[in-house]
Order: sequence, then structure tokens, then C-alpha cells
Amino acid sequence: MRLLILSGYILLSLFTPTGLANTNNHCSQFGPITFGILPFVSAEQLVIRFTPLANYLSRHLNTQIRIETAPNFIAFSQRTTKDKRYDILFTAPHFYPLARKSGYRLIASVDSPGMRAVFVVPKESTIQTINDLKGKRLATVDTKSLATLLIRKHLNQHNINPDKDLTIIATPTHNASLLSTYHGVTDASALMQPPYAAASQQVRDNMRIVAKTQRAPHIPISVGQRISKSCATQISNLLLNMSSTAEGQQVLKHNRFSGYKLSSADIYEKFSAQIFHP
Amino acid sequence: MTKSIPLLQSLRCRLIVSVVIIEIVMLSILVLNNISIIQTTHTDRLRDTASSMIQQIANTSGNYMVAVDYATLEDYLKNVTHYRELLYLAIFDRDDNMVISLGPFPQKNRPHEDISPAQTDDGIFDITQDIKVAGQPMGKVSIGFSLGIMQDAIKKSRIRGISIAAIEIILTVLVTVIIGIGLTRRLGMLSNAAAEVEAGNYSVTVPTETCDEVGKTAIAFNRMVSEVSNRTQQLQRAKSRSTKLLHENRQLIHYSLEIQEAERKHLARELHDELGQCLTAIQADAELIRDLSDNDKRIETSAIAIMDVSSRVYDVVHSMMHRLRPGILDNLGLVEALKDEIKAWESRNTETRCSFTTAGDLSQLSEHSNIMLYRIVQECLTNISKYAQAKSVTISLQNTTEKLLLEVRDNGNGFDIKQRNKGLGLIGMRERVESLNGSLKIKSEPGKGVGIFISVPLS
Repeated sequence: MRLLILSGYILLSLFTPTGLANTNNHCSQFGPITFGILPFVSAEQLVIRFTPLANYLSRHLNTQIRIETAPNFIAFSQRTTKDKRYDILFTAPHFYPLARKSGYRLIASVDSPGMRAVFVVPKESTIQTINDLKGKRLATVDTKSLATLLIRKHLNQHNINPDKDLTIIATPTHNASLLSTYHGVTDASALMQPPYAAASQQVRDNMRIVAKTQRAPHIPISVGQRISKSCATQISNLLLNMSSTAEGQQVLKHNRFSGYKLSSADIYEKFSAQIFHP
Repeated sequence: MTKSIPLLQSLRCRLIVSVVIIEIVMLSILVLNNISIIQTTHTDRLRDTASSMIQQIANTSGNYMVAVDYATLEDYLKNVTHYRELLYLAIFDRDDNMVISLGPFPQKNRPHEDISPAQTDDGIFDITQDIKVAGQPMGKVSIGFSLGIMQDAIKKSRIRGISIAAIEIILTVLVTVIIGIGLTRRLGMLSNAAAEVEAGNYSVTVPTETCDEVGKTAIAFNRMVSEVSNRTQQLQRAKSRSTKLLHENRQLIHYSLEIQEAERKHLARELHDELGQCLTAIQADAELIRDLSDNDKRIETSAIAIMDVSSRVYDVVHSMMHRLRPGILDNLGLVEALKDEIKAWESRNTETRCSFTTAGDLSQLSEHSNIMLYRIVQECLTNISKYAQAKSVTISLQNTTEKLLLEVRDNGNGFDIKQRNKGLGLIGMRERVESLNGSLKIKSEPGKGVGIFISVPLS
């Protein structure tokens, strides 16, 4: 009986995040680990959203996890590829292939069917279909953002030239894009669906989705060259097993993620090739 | 004229010194209080400014720190930190590395944080605050404010306050001195005038230059002096009239006394000369009738009766003559007359022993003096027999060549001089003494007898 209980405890320890962290403390040697997150929302929003995850990792890796971002997508991309600044990278799917070339290793991705962009207009707007956007002002985010790339592809697929048939107005964030349409500054807004879902109820009640783009693979999580293989494995295990603990579930709920899964770099390579070279 | 007043007692000196001391003390308190308030206000302002600025910078720097966008943050800070007193501004990252530095940062590490601008040790107010985003530390901001400008402002305020206070003190002293001198000068004039009035000079007047309190006092003083002058003149006139009347009354009394004595003397002589002769004649005729009665009993009895009646009438007349004018006074002099009078008085007052002594030559006194002194002793003895119930009386009369001294003492009941009204007898005695240009003193206490002392100058 005693032997059975001991075996069960060992197995449980091996397959729980706490147990992994305590038994294999491979990341503490690196000092503070930089958690680079793509600036798809404001810096403050990023900190609010990802602090529980950072704290979770910090507790289990027994080292400090620091959230960092960049002023914009280009700067973030440059810091990723040239400076190799980030130890854990949370970037857009189409940016991962570039990061991979700089040595970032994929350890997980958000376990979700994938992300897509949506076209939203005010509820009382005369715009009913994607074709009604011709001649209108469409608010997007950074030109290099996933949303912009997805909607450009979508417009092209509907024989609408995004550079000629309508006016694309770049805004700093998804929220800014949505609010510009809500306040009537622009006629329509194109943004990723998760930020739209996270917008306030009042805004969403007064808006209407007129079109949705194709899905893109969800956020890839990779680690930089500074992170050792064992530490990378430890981080990966923590992410993959997060949904199995109450603590991890709380963090996932905060991020509106269902969980993390193992993923292949080829998926992102293929998507990147597709989105940049339609 | 008034005496000069010692400096410390001088109203002018006390007024000026008091005002100056009060002014210096109050202004010193005011200046110190103002300096304290100015210092507090400046330090509070600097602390609030620093606190507000560092809070604003900490709040706005968070996003830049998360994004590691130091260049933009530095541009932003350069634009918002145009403040004269700001000496340096430094931003530190999460590893405490200085990532932005504006102005001369004092040392490599962050300086010791100061609690208040009033408690710095290096003339720089250093404060530090954490930069947080959503409660997560992203770094620190340190700012340092130079206290030089604040201290200059405090110094200027202090100098200004002290200058104003000094000017005010000087002006107050000047005004107080001027007013004090003006006020006390006029009070001095009033004082001098009062002294003149005290000395009897009612012609003095005080100038009434202004209509202030002192001016009104001067007007009232002049009015009072005029009134006092009028009243004094009236009193002097009344006194003069009274004195004249008194003198005339006395002369009248003396004259009436002289007339009275003359009439008494004349009446006594007439009684002696006329009625005495008649009675002597009646007596002689009655004796002749008795001798010629030839044993006629009826005639003899009638003659004897006439002789007895005439004899009694003679005695009465003789007694009246003696009272009107004792003949012994004119014949044997004052001393003998007094002895005779005392002897007669003792025969009437057998319970009282009276001694009479004399000294000096008393034979050369004038008739007026004799009769007046005689009447005075007579009045004294009458009073003693009436009121004193004395056992012994001593009468002394002496001539000291300069003056005549008469003393009459008894050991009777005595009286309280202050309470007892002067009777007509005493008034008469005093008038008689006054007619001799002499003086009269009475000494007495209840139960201790009475002493009457008369002094008459012989010159």
C-alpha cells in the first residue's frame, strides 16, 4: 500500500507544474527572463493582461519574469530579430518565421482554432457587405499587423483594391481602430476578433460585424537563444499543463485562452508565406 | 514755577519709549511670523510641485518603460520638465540602471531621498518614486530640485519684511516723538499755568491752538481760571467787608463797654452823692425825732423804724454801688479790689477755696485795664459758682514788664471745648481782652477743670 502511494506521488509530481518547477529548476540561472509581447494593444493593457501569466511562470520557474514590449510592430520585430532581446517571445503568427531565423524556438502555441479579423461598422450604418466599403474610410492597425494583412487579403479576394478602392487609416491599436468607427471618425474598422470580443459591451452593442477574414494560426510562444533547452522544456511543460491546475486555469481565464498546445513551426512558415505572398 | 521732571518720570519719555518698545516687539513678532509663513509656503510649494511632477512623470513613463521606448520618453520628459528649480531628472529601469538623465545627476547611485525641502543636507531636494504599470514595478524616477531659487526668494522676502518693519519703526518713532513733544509741550504749558494760578496769578492764560483734547482742556482751564479769579475777588471783597464789619463791631462793643463802665461809674457816683446824702439826712432826722419824742413811744417807734428802713435802703444802695463800680478799685487799685471781690465771693461759696497771687507792679495799670481785668475775674468767678462745682480756685496775676498775665484755674467739672458753645460770658471776656489788644486761651477737658489764660501787652 505504501509503495502504491509513493509511486502515485512521484507520478503526480512529475506531471504537475509545481512538481516540475520544484524538481527541475533550470531557468533560475538566467536571472530575470524577458517576456516580449507584441504591442497589439497599449502597453498598460499588455501588462494587465499578461501579468498573471508572467507571475505564474515566475513562481514556477523560480526566477523573475519581466514583461516587455516595443513602441510599435517594427520596433518589436527589430528587437526580436536583430537585438534578440526577448527570452520568451509572444508574437504574431506571421512574425514568427522571422524570429525563427534569429534563433527563436517554438515551444507552444495558444490552443485555439485560430484568429481572424473582422470588419465592423456602426449598427445604423448603410454598409451591409464587404463591397459597400468601397470609397469608405477603413480603420486598421499597424500596416505590418496580422489584422491588416488578413483584411488586405480578404479585400483582394473580393476584388477590392485596398490601396485604391477605399481609404485605409492606420491607428495605433485595435481599440483605437474600433473606437474611431464608434465615434464616427471612420466608416468601418478592421481588427482581430479577440480584441473586438474584449471591447466594452456598450461599444459592441452599437457595432455590427459585416465580414470576417480567414483564420490564422494562433499566437506562437517561442524562446530565445539565451534560454537553455532544459529551461525551454520547463517553460513548455508549464504552459502545456496549465489547464490541468486551478491556478493555471485562473491565468488562462484571465487571458481568454483555453490552454496551450504543442505546435509546429511549419504551420507558421506556411501561413507567413501565404499572407505575405498571396 | 514747576520743578523739572526726571527723565524716567517724564510723560513724553514714557510715551515714546512705550510706543517704540511695543512697536519693535510687535513688528519683530510679525516679521518672524511672516518669514516663517513665507518659508513654509515656499517649501510646501516646492514639495507639492515636486510631488505633483514626479507623480505625473511616474504615471506617464510606465508605458514607455514597458515598451523600452526611452528615446520617446526622453523627448517627452524634455518637453514637460521646463522648470527653473528642477536640477536633474533621472529614470532607472527595473535593474536600477539609469536609462534617462536630464540635467547634472549628482552621483552614480540615486541620492538619499529627502522628506522635505526644509530638511536637505546638500541644498538639493531629492525625491524618488516607483514607476508602475498596473501595479507592476517598471523602474524608478528620481528628480532633484535646487533650493537656491527658493532660498533666494525667502531671503528677499526676509530682507523686504525687515526693511518694511525698520521703516515702520523709524516712522513710528518720528511720529510718536513729534506727537509726544507737541502733546507734552502743551501739557507742560497747562502745568506751568496751574502753578501760576496756585501762586495767585490769575491773569495767566493757556494758548488754545488746536481743538483736540488738550486744546479743549486748555479752554476749560482758561474758563476755570477766569471763574476762580472772579470768585476769589468776590471772596476777597466779602472778606474785606467782613473784616471791616468785625472791626467796627468790636470798636462798637469796646465803645459800648466803655460807655457801660462810664454809666456804671456815673450811676454809682450819683447813687453815692445824691441818694447817700438823702439817706444820711433821713437817718439824722430820724435820730433827731427819736431824741425829741419825749418818751412818746409811738414817735420813738416810728423814728426807729425810719432809721432801720433808711439803713436797709443804704445797704441796698451801697451794694448796688459796689456792683456798678467798686469804689475800692478806684481808691485802692486792682489787687485790693480783686481781694475784696474774692473775699465776697468766698463768703457766698463757702465750699470753695480760692487763692489769689500777684507778681510784679500792678499799681500803674490804666483805669480801663483795671476795670476790664476786674470784670474778667468777676465773670470767671460767676461761671465757677454756676457750673464748675469746684473745690479750689487759683487766680494769678503778674506783670512781666512786657505783658500782663492773668490765669484763673479751677478743679471743677470742666467741659469739652470742641463741643460746648461759647456762652455770652466767654464772648464778653474775649471782647474785653480784645479791647486791651490781648489774647485769651481756654484749656479744659471734662472732669479736669478749666484754665483761662489771658495775656495783655503793656506797650
